[in-house]
Amino acid sequence: MTDAGQAIAAARSQVVAALAARLRDLDQAEEAFAEACAAAIPAWRRDPPRDPAAWLWRAALRNAFDAKRRLAVRTRAVHDERPPAPTPEDELLAADAPIPDERMRLIFVCCHPAVGPEARAALTLKVVCGLSTERLARAFLVAEPAMLQRITRAKRKIRDAGVSFEVPARDAWNERLEAVLATLEIAYAQAYQDAGLTEDAAPFAEEVLRLSGQLAELMPREPEVLGLAALVRYAEARRPARLDEGGAMIPPSLQDVLLWRADLIAEGVRLLDNAARHGEPGPRQLMAAIHGAHLSRRETGVTPWADIVSLYDGLMHFRPDPVTAVNRAVAVGEARGMREGLAALEAVPGGGRLAAWLPYQAARAALCEGAGLAADAASAYRAALSLKPAPAERLYLERRLAGLALSR
Amino acid sequence: MQYMLLIYEPEDIYEGPAGEALLVDVVAKYTALSEEMAANGVLRGGDGLQPSATTVKTLVGGGQSLHDGPFAETREHLGGYFIIDVPDLDAALAYARRVPVAEGGMVEVRPIAIY
Repeated sequence: MTDAGQAIAAARSQVVAALAARLRDLDQAEEAFAEACAAAIPAWRRDPPRDPAAWLWRAALRNAFDAKRRLAVRTRAVHDERPPAPTPEDELLAADAPIPDERMRLIFVCCHPAVGPEARAALTLKVVCGLSTERLARAFLVAEPAMLQRITRAKRKIRDAGVSFEVPARDAWNERLEAVLATLEIAYAQAYQDAGLTEDAAPFAEEVLRLSGQLAELMPREPEVLGLAALVRYAEARRPARLDEGGAMIPPSLQDVLLWRADLIAEGVRLLDNAARHGEPGPRQLMAAIHGAHLSRRETGVTPWADIVSLYDGLMHFRPDPVTAVNRAVAVGEARGMREGLAALEAVPGGGRLAAWLPYQAARAALCEGAGLAADAASAYRAALSLKPAPAERLYLERRLAGLALSR
Repeated sequence: MQYMLLIYEPEDIYEGPAGEALLVDVVAKYTALSEEMAANGVLRGGDGLQPSATTVKTLVGGGQSLHDGPFAETREHLGGYFIIDVPDLDAALAYARRVPVAEGGMVEVRPIAIY
C-alpha cells in the first residue's frame, strides 16, 4: 500500500463515523469520504498534509455540504448562490477543532434492532471498519450482489425509519447492548476462524480488539462488555502460536506458551477480574474464562481440563447449542477419557445435520483417534476434510490423517 | 419525525362480561397515555376503530369491487392508531412499548412519508 493509501486506511473509521454522526446518513458519509479520498491522492502528492485525517475530514465535510446545497438548489429551484457567510458549516470548516470520535455512536446505529440481525454484523464491519463488500460476502458465505443489497437496505432503513445517532439512554441499554455484543462476537469469529490471519482477516481482529476495548471503557459496570473485551484479548494473545512453520493449525493445548502475548493476557486478566466482581456470570465471561484456563498452562505447565469442563457446563446453561456441546465433549474426552468424550459427543442433539458440520467431524476424529478407534478416526478426518476447512485447519487434519495411517 | 403507531389486537378478548371489564380498564390506560402524549406535545392524532365487522372495503383488480368484511385469515385486526411527532425512532419505540395492547397483539411503528 502507498503512504497515502495507508494514511487513508488509518483515518477511515474515525472520519466516516464523525461524518455519519454529523450528516445522520451512512451513505452520504461514505460517499463524501470516497470523494475526499479521490481528491487526496493528487493533492497530497503536491503538498503532503500535516494531519491526513483532519484533511480528509474537512474535505469530506465540504463535499457533503456542497452536495446538500446542490440538492437544495435543485428541489427548491432557487438561485445557486451561497448563503451569506459565515454559515454554521463555514464555522465548522474554519475551526481547528479535533475530529470528534463518534465510532461508538456508529456501532449502536449499525446494531439497532430496526436492522435485521443478519445485516448488523455486516453493516458494522462495512461502515465502522471499512471492510469491502466483496470481503464481507466471502466471510458470510453469500454472493456479493446479495451482500451489497443487504447493506444497502439496512442503510436505507436507518435513514428512512429515523434511527437516532445517539448512544442509547441507560434504561435502553439491555436490549441495545446485547445486539452490539452479538455483532462484535460474530465479527470476531470471522477473524478467529482464520488462524493465520491470511488475506485480510487482520483488520477484523484489529477492529474488534479496539472496539471491544472502547466499549469496556465506556461501560465499565457491564460484566458482559468486560467479558467480551477479555475474550477477544485472550484469543488474540494466542495468535502468534496458532500455526506451525508449515502453516498448519496447532491446538491450544500444544501451542508454545512462550509465543503467547503477555500484554494481551494481562489486559484480559484485568478485565475479567473486574467483570467477576459484579457476580453476574454470562456467556462471554464464561468463554473468556475457558480461554483463560488454556492460558494458565503458561504458569502451571498443564491444561486444567476438569476446570474447562465445568466452565463448559456453565456455558451450556446460557448457550445450550451444538457448538457449545461439541466443544464440551472434546474437553470431557481430555478430562475423563476419550470414551466418555465420545459418549458426550454422541449425546449432542442435532441428528443427521451434525454429520455435515466441520467442528463435529473434527471433534469426532480427535476423540476416536484418542480412543484407539483408528478406522472411525480416519473416516471422520476424511469427512472433516470434505467440509471445506480453512487452509491451516486442512493442513492439520491432513497431517493427523496421515499420522493415523503410519501408526497402523 | 412523524410516526404512526398501528395497534393490532385479537378482537375476541373484549367479548363477554370479562371482556367488557377489560375494555373499561384498557380505555382508561389509553386515555392516560394519550393525555401524556398531548402534554408532552408529541400527539398529532389518534383514535380507536370500530370492530372489524364494520369494515367495508373497495378492492382494486379487474375494476373495483366492494367487499363487506375483513380478510378472515387474520386474527389480529387494526384496532386503533396514534400519530406522534418525536425526534427519532427510539423515542417512537419508547411510546409504542407503552401502548396498553392486549396479550397477543402488537404495535407496528411506521415513519410517515413526506412527499
